[in-house]
Amino acid sequence: MKVATQTISASECLLRMYDEHHEIEDYQKGVPRWCTGCGDNAILTAVQRLCRDEGLLPEKTVFVSGIGCSSRLPHYMNTYGFHGIHGRALPVAEGAKLARPDLDVFVNTGDGDCCSIGAAHWIHAVRYNMDLTMMLHDNQIYGLTKKQASPTSPIGTKSNTTPRGSYLEALNPLTVTLGISNVSFVAQVVDWIPEVLYQVISAAFHHKGFSFIRIVQRCPEWLPKQMDPWMHDPQRVLLLHHENGLEISPALAKVYTKMEEHDPANMNRAREIASSDDPIPVGILYRDDDIPCYEDVRHDSRLRTAEMVKNGLNAELDKFTVWPEGATHA
Amino acid sequence: MQANFQDQIAFYLTGRREGSKLKPLDGSYRPALFARVSDLASLRYDLPLILNVSGTADRVVLSLSHLIDEAVESLGQSADRDRIARHGYKLELELRKGSTANGSDDFGKMWSDAAARLSDNADPSMQDSAQKLWSHFDVAGTLVDADAEFPSRVVYHAWNAVQDTKAKRFRKKAERLLQKLRDILDAEAIGSAAGRAPDRLRAGVGTSFGTTFDFNAMSRILVEGKPGFELSGERRTRIKGLIEVLERQRFYPVGTNVDEPYSFAFFKCSDALDAYQERHDEAVELLRTLAIADLETKGEYRESVHDVLFDGFGSNGLDAEELAELPDYLVCTDAGTLDAVDTAQMVELLAAGLPIKVLVRTDDILEPSKVAEGHVALGLRARQLVDTAIGLTDVFVFQSGASHLFQMRESMIRALSYDGPALFSVFSGATGHNADMPPYLVAAAAMESRSFPALVYDPSAGADWATRLAVSDNPNLDDDWPVHSFAFEDETLQAGSENLAFTLADFMSMDDRFYGHYAIVEESYQSDGLIPISEALHADVTGLPSEVPYITLVDDKLTMQRAIIDDRLLLETRRCLTMWHSLQELGGIHNSHAERLLAKELKSRSAEAAANVGAAEVAQTEDAAVAEPTPAAVAPIDEPTAEDHGDDPYIESARCTTCNECTNLNDRMFAYNAEKQAYIADPDAGTFRQLVEAAEGCQVSIIHPGKPRNPKEPGIEDLIARAALFN
Ligand SMILES: Cc1ncc(C[n+]2csc(CCOP(=O)(O)OP(=O)(O)O)c2C)c(N)n1
Ligand code: SF4
Ligand code: SF4
Ligand SMILES: [Mg+2]
Repeated sequence: MKVATQTISASECLLRMYDEHHEIEDYQKGVPRWCTGCGDNAILTAVQRLCRDEGLLPEKTVFVSGIGCSSRLPHYMNTYGFHGIHGRALPVAEGAKLARPDLDVFVNTGDGDCCSIGAAHWIHAVRYNMDLTMMLHDNQIYGLTKKQASPTSPIGTKSNTTPRGSYLEALNPLTVTLGISNVSFVAQVVDWIPEVLYQVISAAFHHKGFSFIRIVQRCPEWLPKQMDPWMHDPQRVLLLHHENGLEISPALAKVYTKMEEHDPANMNRAREIASSDDPIPVGILYRDDDIPCYEDVRHDSRLRTAEMVKNGLNAELDKFTVWPEGATHA
Repeated sequence: MQANFQDQIAFYLTGRREGSKLKPLDGSYRPALFARVSDLASLRYDLPLILNVSGTADRVVLSLSHLIDEAVESLGQSADRDRIARHGYKLELELRKGSTANGSDDFGKMWSDAAARLSDNADPSMQDSAQKLWSHFDVAGTLVDADAEFPSRVVYHAWNAVQDTKAKRFRKKAERLLQKLRDILDAEAIGSAAGRAPDRLRAGVGTSFGTTFDFNAMSRILVEGKPGFELSGERRTRIKGLIEVLERQRFYPVGTNVDEPYSFAFFKCSDALDAYQERHDEAVELLRTLAIADLETKGEYRESVHDVLFDGFGSNGLDAEELAELPDYLVCTDAGTLDAVDTAQMVELLAAGLPIKVLVRTDDILEPSKVAEGHVALGLRARQLVDTAIGLTDVFVFQSGASHLFQMRESMIRALSYDGPALFSVFSGATGHNADMPPYLVAAAAMESRSFPALVYDPSAGADWATRLAVSDNPNLDDDWPVHSFAFEDETLQAGSENLAFTLADFMSMDDRFYGHYAIVEESYQSDGLIPISEALHADVTGLPSEVPYITLVDDKLTMQRAIIDDRLLLETRRCLTMWHSLQELGGIHNSHAERLLAKELKSRSAEAAANVGAAEVAQTEDAAVAEPTPAAVAPIDEPTAEDHGDDPYIESARCTTCNECTNLNDRMFAYNAEKQAYIADPDAGTFRQLVEAAEGCQVSIIHPGKPRNPKEPGIEDLIARAALFN
């Protein structure tokens, strides 16, 4: 006899039985063409681990990028991917998410891609707060085009465009993002602590809204040893932890003893922490789960049939059609 | 003993009136509490109802009075508010009169007809009021008043509304699935060589650029350059099959299906059961199709796993939740014509957990028992069904008088939306034995007298009786009977009032079949031995009674009269009260177990309190002395001890950044583990030199070369020195 408890419907039940088991290799495609020692490899591994651990279906997952070494990441993911044009990863990702909110959409971009040519899109993506996970691979240089200074290159960086050293103070992607209205998730991590890299990407993935992660990424090809002072001195990394942020494992806590308990709800403190580049703050700086997502605010529940898309496009195009004298349009 | 009283006792004991001055009861009397309602049509109450077909679920059944009040309310403080309200009430009365006469009709038409009838050519304001009110209504549907068909009309209408919602939900899902399934086939067609043939490409580009491209070349490049995408034969067949089933099914009309959709409303359980069984295979096929299509469109259908599972789909029966996707069956029956076979079939249907809603309409709850003289059935057939259904534990049970359907509409809709069987027991009040008393009043009186109590048993509400059974729609829930204060004037025009209970005996006095059990005692003929029935019920009589119970009635001149009742009727009334008490208990009111426990607890507490007086002070000081010690601080977390690797080389894999530095150096010595982090796969697959170089090259310095395994390796001294930095 049935008691009024929850039962599982047939299809759900089958779904549960069919528990797809993935290995990291299942998400790997091709052989990365990054230089040996490049920090992008660590990021790739972290997202592949996330995909495996979350059991993400390759056909339900999209990696979108712009142009740069970092933007090659979608090529190495055995999921859907879109290697876009320089600076335009975000608009592409937003379009995908708006049309297909059921997909998990990730964005991989570089400091040149995001902070120079794509800066306008970056600002508006934060404000739109769509449910995307964005990773800014910040190697402080244009890597793919063989060493030009980027907006995040520290002042004095010698490069092909700044042979005498760059002239401007570097732009701080964290403080910029924290200053944009509707910001809902900001974190920073370094590529050389894989455990935290994974934790932060995972937290960002689970955050409903636009998650911005700046990843300090080594480019051993053009800026060798640039990050060594930080890498070899755990005291120059400030680990942020909190019950609503990261939990630091005991093993890690033994090495990285410089820690701060920081509540990601505290915007003022987040901004103070964000402005430090030595020690490098690592962890979740800010999170607000209550900001509405653009795709929810603008959700259209109508069934998107081919007919409807066609009519919509025609109606749009009609607006720009010059009608010959005397002609009437339908 | 007074002579009058002797006659009265005699009537009480034998039901005989002959030779006394006791007067018989007839249709000109009615219960005193109904004194005001002689002309029901002139009063404002819930009925008639509007069976609304526009708007949300909470507006499926509307009351005309409420609707007018709401509309007047929404006028705010507008200047003509009073005038419009006055006209509104007039229209309401007019409609009530009309609806009682006609049964049911289109509300919009009735409204404008009534406005036309009441309009005076010289004064257009009535029409104006009618229009203004109408513009606030936002309804469409029929206006219905209580008659024998009323319960089935209301339940059928609400059922339809619930089915509409389900149909919409289904259609949305089915259309989405159909679209996606067709998309899969379309994608294959577009991706095929035929889809990339020059003509197709030319058509895709459109006329403006029709000559700009070499479509043959384009087709060649596309066909050769891009691997074709082809569904497996099984998958294509499966998808086509799914589409076919969704298009052909007759449970809910979807898209272009031309076949007449199935009907789900019946008058007999056997017909419903036949239809259910006839359609069973199709229902299973449809549900299986939905489940497969869901997986298929998500790309999650795996033949190796799912084929077997879906082959057996439904062979173990379908559960209520699965069936809830399909329409519910509705059977509207009349308790008066149900025979034992029907009843048995109905119980079987309900017990099977099928998605079926059964309405049992009762017109007569006072049907005299066939076996015992003077004994009334008290809605026996419906009551049996209700008791059995509740006993089945997963049947939603709803019982109400027709008069309360509006008040209890929310529960009614909840029952109709329940994912499983539901039984509706409704008393129409159209007994045919109540002189000119309208069915609405008879139904309301039945609820009032506890002979047809309201109850809602909702299996989905929780696990226990307290949450599942609600009897709170009954009047004066905590009491034996509803008691009302009755105001009157005596012969000297002095105002007085009396509290009158409304009992089964009061209710039965309205029914011509029981007139013989009552005798009117004229004022002059009364004796001291008369007591109100509500008191008599509790008297413990052994031997010859010293009191005779009476009820209070009014005659057609609105004069109060006492009618004594006979013994038989008192017994029936007492039986009705006992039944009410058990319902109260089930509903958590005056629960005997709880009351017994409470009494016990109170007793032990008061005994304890008595014992503790005086000892309190001593206890207080002692309490402080033996205060519990605070628990010890939390034990420190065990620190993981570093693994001892001895002289062997090793990598702190958890810190590896997968940078390929070491693996590029020697991919047999260095390999990635399941987390894609490096470890020493085989220390003998390379030289100690390679180990040391890898350690030096690793940017995060996590490779520890250990001691050389071959001490004869060239330049070993130097290598050992270099390795020391990393060990
Ligand atoms: C519109 C446009 N302008 C310029 C370029 C040249 N370009 C290619 S990559 C790149 C900079 C990439 O730097 P970053 O985003 O930091 O990526 P990294 O290679 O460092 O990961 C530039 C300027 C281009 N491809 N497109
Ligand atoms: S150039 Fe720099 S960023 Fe690009 S792959 Fe090489 S190391 Fe990585
Ligand atoms: S060199 Fe170090 S970081 Fe790089 S793969 Fe090998 S162990 Fe990992
Ligand atoms: Mg860069």
